[in-house]
Amino acid sequence: MSDTPAVSVNHLTKVFKGTLVKGAFRAVHDLSLTVKAGEVYGIIGPNGSGKSTTMKVILGLLKPTEGDTSIFGVPSSEVASRHSVGFLPENPYFYKHLTGRETLHFYGSLCGMRGAKLKERASEMLELTGLEDAASRRVGGYSKGMLQRLGLAQALIHEPRLLVLDEPTAGVDPAGSRKIRDLIIEFRSRGITVLVTSHLLEQMQEVCDRVGIMAHGRMVREGRLEDLIAVENQTEMVLENASPELLAKIDALVKAESGGTKILRSGHPRTTLERLFLEATNEAKKS
Amino acid sequence: MKRELQAIAVLLVFGVAKLPLEQHLTQDLRKQKMLEEPLQLGVGENMGQMGLAASLGGLRGLAASMFQLRAHLEFTHVNWAKVDSLYKLVTRLQPRNVRYWEEASWHMAYNAASHYLYHQELKPALRGQLYHDHVKRGIAILEEGLKFLPDNPRLWQKLAEIQWHRSKDFKQAGDAYWNSFQHGGLNFTERFAGFAYAQSNDPESWRKGYAILKRLYDANKSTPGLVEFLKLLEQNLHVPTEQRIPDTAPVRKGPEPQAGPQR
Amino acid sequence: MSNATNSSIAEKQPRVRFSPQRVWTLAMATVTQLVRMKILAFLVVFCLLAVGAGFAFSVINPEQQLNLLKSVTLGALQIFSIVIGVVSTALLLPKDMEDRTLYTILSKPVPRFDYLLGKLLGVLLLIGGGLIVMDAVLSLILWLRESMVFEDVVTRMRLEKMDTPEAVAQVREIVARQGLTWNLHWAVWAIFLKAAVVTTVSLLLSCIASSTLFTIIMTFCITIIGHGHALIREFFFQPHLSSAASRVAALLLAAICPDLAQFDIVDSVVNGEIVPWAAVYDITGIAALYVTVYLFVTHLLFVEKEL
Repeated sequence: MSDTPAVSVNHLTKVFKGTLVKGAFRAVHDLSLTVKAGEVYGIIGPNGSGKSTTMKVILGLLKPTEGDTSIFGVPSSEVASRHSVGFLPENPYFYKHLTGRETLHFYGSLCGMRGAKLKERASEMLELTGLEDAASRRVGGYSKGMLQRLGLAQALIHEPRLLVLDEPTAGVDPAGSRKIRDLIIEFRSRGITVLVTSHLLEQMQEVCDRVGIMAHGRMVREGRLEDLIAVENQTEMVLENASPELLAKIDALVKAESGGTKILRSGHPRTTLERLFLEATNEAKKS
Repeated sequence: MKRELQAIAVLLVFGVAKLPLEQHLTQDLRKQKMLEEPLQLGVGENMGQMGLAASLGGLRGLAASMFQLRAHLEFTHVNWAKVDSLYKLVTRLQPRNVRYWEEASWHMAYNAASHYLYHQELKPALRGQLYHDHVKRGIAILEEGLKFLPDNPRLWQKLAEIQWHRSKDFKQAGDAYWNSFQHGGLNFTERFAGFAYAQSNDPESWRKGYAILKRLYDANKSTPGLVEFLKLLEQNLHVPTEQRIPDTAPVRKGPEPQAGPQR
Repeated sequence: MSNATNSSIAEKQPRVRFSPQRVWTLAMATVTQLVRMKILAFLVVFCLLAVGAGFAFSVINPEQQLNLLKSVTLGALQIFSIVIGVVSTALLLPKDMEDRTLYTILSKPVPRFDYLLGKLLGVLLLIGGGLIVMDAVLSLILWLRESMVFEDVVTRMRLEKMDTPEAVAQVREIVARQGLTWNLHWAVWAIFLKAAVVTTVSLLLSCIASSTLFTIIMTFCITIIGHGHALIREFFFQPHLSSAASRVAALLLAAICPDLAQFDIVDSVVNGEIVPWAAVYDITGIAALYVTVYLFVTHLLFVEKEL
């Protein structure tokens, strides 16, 4: 892995100028973060915490008021920094009149790709995102999840080393959301760095190596996911086909133990609603 | 902010620097007859004209066409006052379009004038008066048009025709035909200038007519009509017998070969 | 997909330069977008109008018929080109921003100038293509009408026994002048140039405007003022006409607006004037100057615009 960080944000402050009606607004305040090459980094936080603003500055769409940002060492202010980044904005729209394939060709040729190579790459991306069947349909008729996947495909078209995803699963149904998260995991396995924002915490939990939590334009907590969420003094045990007698024995054993050990709760673990939904919809598909 | 200021600066500096260029170019294009000359109608009128031009953008021609169509409709309704006022608008919009002047005057001097002349419900005296008024209006329209297009042979020719056929003012008709010919009009306008002068009551005009017709005769360009008028003028001007043309004067065979330059 | 390789040395990316291919890609996407928005339905309306103007008014005199055909159709061309130029430009940029399509484009290695130029070129290609089609239709109808009108007049003259060769030649000359000549195409070229200037102004305004409606209204205001530019200059250059304050106002107005009346050679062409090469160079040159400078100003406004 490279020593050069994929993304580096140094003391970034972004203030939006006020108008006559409303005053100036400080969206990001003295934010610093580093995304190492090859990891999946999640910025989480409530709506309006400055996540999207930070991403836009990283992508050069906004100018920092103070501080600076860079992508693989190239300042975001330089167009060249965009060679190594692919971006999926929140709720992306594409030119409705183009088909999925045409959209990818359009973005590819903006990146200087052309000819057979572009066609091949576009097909590859359509396959990766599961859009082959919809490739010749106009984007205007795509569902939200399909648009999101097309967004991913266009972000990847020029083989970037960094993917920036803004709320990739927001408003997408669980199956679509699952697919996107699986893709993120796949990207990581292929060595692509991913910077992702979301306010859907449990979804981030599954894919991120490290997370930063933002609130009111500041970074309030940052670190490796396991470190942040592990409860050090508790242990979890899940049994299958355990008889009531066995449970009573364990209970007695624990009670006999001195030193403050106790059972906090026991019962039937519940599947997540998401898992239930996925199973049910898959069964429906199979039958 | 810096970029915005730069943008404003560039816009203003270019804006001021381009003014003389635009002024020069406009004059150039006017000289090439691509753009209208500003009309010499006094400042107020001029501003009005240009204001009209500005508010219609480049669509003056279209607006003129539309008014002309309306005028045509009024013509079919025999509403002469409306025809006149609509054509006034049309010629204001397109003062350099010969046909609009031509058509405006034709409506007045021919259509309207004849309409009143044969209007059975009117008293004879009134009919004559209205006939003359409308012929005069037709002439006035052409004269106004000639202020904008003083070199146009067609307008001169139309003026001559009205003077000849409608007002029977042969001296004026002769002058107008002559002007048409002088400005590159058709060949017959020269001959017709002579014919018109020949029919006037004015000895000075007779002399002009004689000079024209004799020259044509000598250049072997005579027609039966020309010979007739020339003989008439010889008589009126008491030309000595030896200078008169022979009774069996040669007449050019066939029509004139070419129509001459047109503007 | 290849595994992304990360070099350990300081990342050096090649500078992104202006790329005609990229501009062309953006232009073609713009054209496709506008075409699929059915904007060219206007062409059909135009063709009907041209046929109507060409054949409907057979009551008025033949020469006037040709004249009417030309002034109506060329007028329609002017309206088409300016309205399409202003409206589509005013719509495109804010729409890209609203739909976040702009984010996906500008987060690729695409300089903002390329984006602007691509959009402008796209709109101009559409206008140019539309004008070429309409010019062809107009030329065809005019050519047909020209011979029909000539035959008509000569037949009538023959009936009235007025068909002397001289008179016939005069009619031929008049009809030929009112009919299809190269000048017609130069008039269409002038219409295109004017539309190009107005479109660039619209692009400039859409960079600073907060709404599409504002852009459209402002562009139309500038278009109207631009047609009265000579009047405003006159006002400025003649000190005795006005007070100092109104002269300054006139100067400002004249400075920020282009002189669009310079492109109004249509009326002269309809009247049968012949367009000299010098005039073609003049109007092409000044249009290129306006477009270049306004595009540069647009770039200054857009290059660091917060999106």
